[in-house]
Amino acid sequence: MVKQILIIPSIFFLIIVSIFFYLLIIDRNPSEIPSNLINKTIPFFETESLFKNKKFISSEEFGNEIVLVNFFATWCKPCRDEHGYIKKFQSKEKLRIIGINYKDDPEKANAWLKDLGNPYSDVPLDKNGRIAIDWGVYGIPETFVISSDGIIKYRHVGPITKKIYKKINLLIATLKLKK
Amino acid sequence: MINKIFVTLVSFLFFFNLLNISYAVEPNEIMKNKDHEIRARNISKNVRCMICQNQSIDESNAPLAKDLRVLIRNEIKKGKSDDEIYFFLTERYGDFILLKPPLKLNTLALWFLPFVFLVVGLLILFFYNKKYRKV
Amino acid sequence: MIPSLGNFTLWLSLFFAVFQFFSSRKNKNIKYISLAVIFLFFSSLISFFLLIYSHVISDFSVINVVQNSHTTKPLLYKIAGVWGNHEGSMLLWMLVLTLVNYFIFKLLNKKNSSFILKTLEIQAFIIIGFLLFTIFTSNPFLRVFPAQLEGLGFNPILQDPALAIHPPLLYIGYVGFSAAFSMSVATLILNNKKNIFWYNYMKPFVIGAWTFLTIGIALGSVWAYYELGWGGWWFWDPVENASFMPWLIGTALLHSLIIVEKRKSLQAWVLLLAILAFLLSVIGTFLVRSGILTSVHTFALDPSRGIYILIFTALLGGYSLILFGVKSRKFFDNNYFSSFSKEGSILINNIFMSVVCATVFLGTIYPLLVEAFTNNKISVGEPYYNSTVIPIMIPAIIVMGIGPILSWGKEDKLKILKKIIPSVLITLIMTIAIFLFYKSYSILGFAGIILSFWIISNNVLNIIRKNKAYSMSMFIAHLGVGLLILGITGSSVWQDEKIVKMKVKNEIKIKNYNIIFDQIVEIKGINYIAVRGNFLVRDDEKKIITKLKPENRFYPITNIFTSEASIHSNLFRDLYIVLGEGNMTNGWVVRIYYNPLVIWIWIGSLLIFLGGIVSLNTNLKKLLKW
Repeated sequence: MVKQILIIPSIFFLIIVSIFFYLLIIDRNPSEIPSNLINKTIPFFETESLFKNKKFISSEEFGNEIVLVNFFATWCKPCRDEHGYIKKFQSKEKLRIIGINYKDDPEKANAWLKDLGNPYSDVPLDKNGRIAIDWGVYGIPETFVISSDGIIKYRHVGPITKKIYKKINLLIATLKLKK
Repeated sequence: MINKIFVTLVSFLFFFNLLNISYAVEPNEIMKNKDHEIRARNISKNVRCMICQNQSIDESNAPLAKDLRVLIRNEIKKGKSDDEIYFFLTERYGDFILLKPPLKLNTLALWFLPFVFLVVGLLILFFYNKKYRKV
Repeated sequence: MIPSLGNFTLWLSLFFAVFQFFSSRKNKNIKYISLAVIFLFFSSLISFFLLIYSHVISDFSVINVVQNSHTTKPLLYKIAGVWGNHEGSMLLWMLVLTLVNYFIFKLLNKKNSSFILKTLEIQAFIIIGFLLFTIFTSNPFLRVFPAQLEGLGFNPILQDPALAIHPPLLYIGYVGFSAAFSMSVATLILNNKKNIFWYNYMKPFVIGAWTFLTIGIALGSVWAYYELGWGGWWFWDPVENASFMPWLIGTALLHSLIIVEKRKSLQAWVLLLAILAFLLSVIGTFLVRSGILTSVHTFALDPSRGIYILIFTALLGGYSLILFGVKSRKFFDNNYFSSFSKEGSILINNIFMSVVCATVFLGTIYPLLVEAFTNNKISVGEPYYNSTVIPIMIPAIIVMGIGPILSWGKEDKLKILKKIIPSVLITLIMTIAIFLFYKSYSILGFAGIILSFWIISNNVLNIIRKNKAYSMSMFIAHLGVGLLILGITGSSVWQDEKIVKMKVKNEIKIKNYNIIFDQIVEIKGINYIAVRGNFLVRDDEKKIITKLKPENRFYPITNIFTSEASIHSNLFRDLYIVLGEGNMTNGWVVRIYYNPLVIWIWIGSLLIFLGGIVSLNTNLKKLLKW
């Protein structure tokens, strides 16, 4: 009986080490938090739009096709860095992208998009950041993939990279098949 | 005069400061109702600043921390309970945003094991004492 | 040239470590072993100095210097910056490891040669492991061509004296426990055949390691309190926990070693603690440097490093714990003792320390477990540790008050009851006094004050009684703990704050102080510009107590803003003021904190450290006589 008890510390230890090993091997980002909204309907929001005169009402704009939602701001450098990929999503993959302008100056946003190119079909304004909070956004840029029935399928925190670009395209292809 | 300009300039620079320093709650956030303010502070101390390292929104001056502090106070004003406010936050940010892990299936071990450790320890003591008495 | 030489000395150290390993294991030639030990230490020392040299002369052909230094850094911080980064800190780790190795070797004599040689063999294995890690994954002497013109390392927050000395002290702690580990494994391997007094040799190393770990942790907290701007000094951050766990096990080990010395019981338990103390240090190293979690303290993230360190940890821990499982039975004894005795109280506290350690470990790795099994992320923060650790500490502290005055073997309960009456009385009196002074009633405050004066009064009375049977170092250290609890209670429970917007010449009252915002000035420092607020502090008799001058600094070279709090301390409270944002027209955000009894946290920690030093001195003398 005592002999068995004495071996317990080593067993505990090896179990914990295996778990650590597993966490080191898999592809994970220790500072990224998974979205709590995956597989849930997008949060409703209604706000001004940058280019159009009428209000942007989310219930009208989602639920028809696969959409990307990209939270961005002109004061955010990584947003500038990833903008090429956002444009690529629109030009190459022909995706509809909604760019939610976070805590920004509309005039600056206008100029920024004119300067860098505008891939967004709409630019709703989130001037006080409340829409972002409803979407669980904590660090811009953030990009969401919304299915054709308005369900959030995926969220990436930080700028789009080549790897993430491929990942999102793969996901969208899968979603299209499921239709 | 030069001093005034200089001071204005440097303080202007600080307006955009987003780093390291914890200014925490600002005077204009503080609620008039003292009980409400105490509630707001206690809730904030339990809410994690999502972009900081291991700080609560009560301690952090990050913009998101401030937004959440203001939001919590608004919800208190609207008459929401502490639980409702926590639910509001975890709906959007998941359980990660709570510094005190909620008691759920996946945290049963976390909350009960310390008690188990203590019981095991006391049992060891008990049996050791028993053996002493035999001798 | 110098960096290449530095790299060469790392390989040289590896050679000598391997040489020491085989000499202690196989041929056991004392001359060879002594050469190995001494040269190992010196080549490690030279590598360390060569890196310091490269930093001091700002050799930007060395990647480590580029990443962590800057030409405008003051000399003191160029040097301290050497161990403030991952690769450089490994050289410091190696230096302490080889120094401890040398001290182990110094113990060698004809009687204990099998034991010490076995210990040196294990120690060599540990050194080899860390050297391989350093050379292959964390080499500070890697070059960049062409050499850079300037470095990147300039964070003013890190340029602080407390922070400069915090790592070396911690490492003496972490690495000091390696000696205990090696001795424990050696004892288990040799299987008690020759009745080695391993505990006598282990004790000075444990005391030394524990003492420096204590002061290292305390300095980290001091720095956080002065630098971070809201009076916090402990955050249950994973890396802080990584230092606290070896400290808890070290405390248990320190005390139960006394029992083993005195009456040879609990040997198996102590052998396990000795293994765990160092193992926790190594696991802590892994958590900080592997990239498995993020924290304020973590060094640059690199999973390949993580895998290496994990494999080494697995080998070290797996081997030692399995060895323990198989061999420790031989160290069991029938020397039981009553719970109501000095040994009994030490055992009780050992159990409490271990339970706290297990809880802190659980809390620290739990988010990783949840992530591994459910793909979800949760946080385990301060509220969890407060709910679990504090309730367990309370009975531990109560026992700590009585324990020292119990005698070895069974104690007479009635006699002790009489003995503790003075301290119970003093505790009650002081508790009431403090409550009248601070006028704040909270259960936790109540508990904290009672506990702290329970410890303080017991130990002060013992010091006065000058009972030769008891050790002075224990009273000093325990008194320190009592004062520490006093400080922790006061600063946590009775803190008051005022957060206001003030224009120049405005006044505000906090407790019985009047704070007047006298003026705003601009300051030009060596490498920063700053806005400083001059505040006058008056007491209720209108006397000026002090002038507080918080600053907001801007360092143009690196675009960093810092806020320097201004603090006035006395034995009763700290007045702590921070300047926020603002301007001349609308006024400034000012945060004023009244933190009671904070200074006792530092005084208490210092006393614990001093108690440790006195004990170290006593135990070294004992060892030399031996």
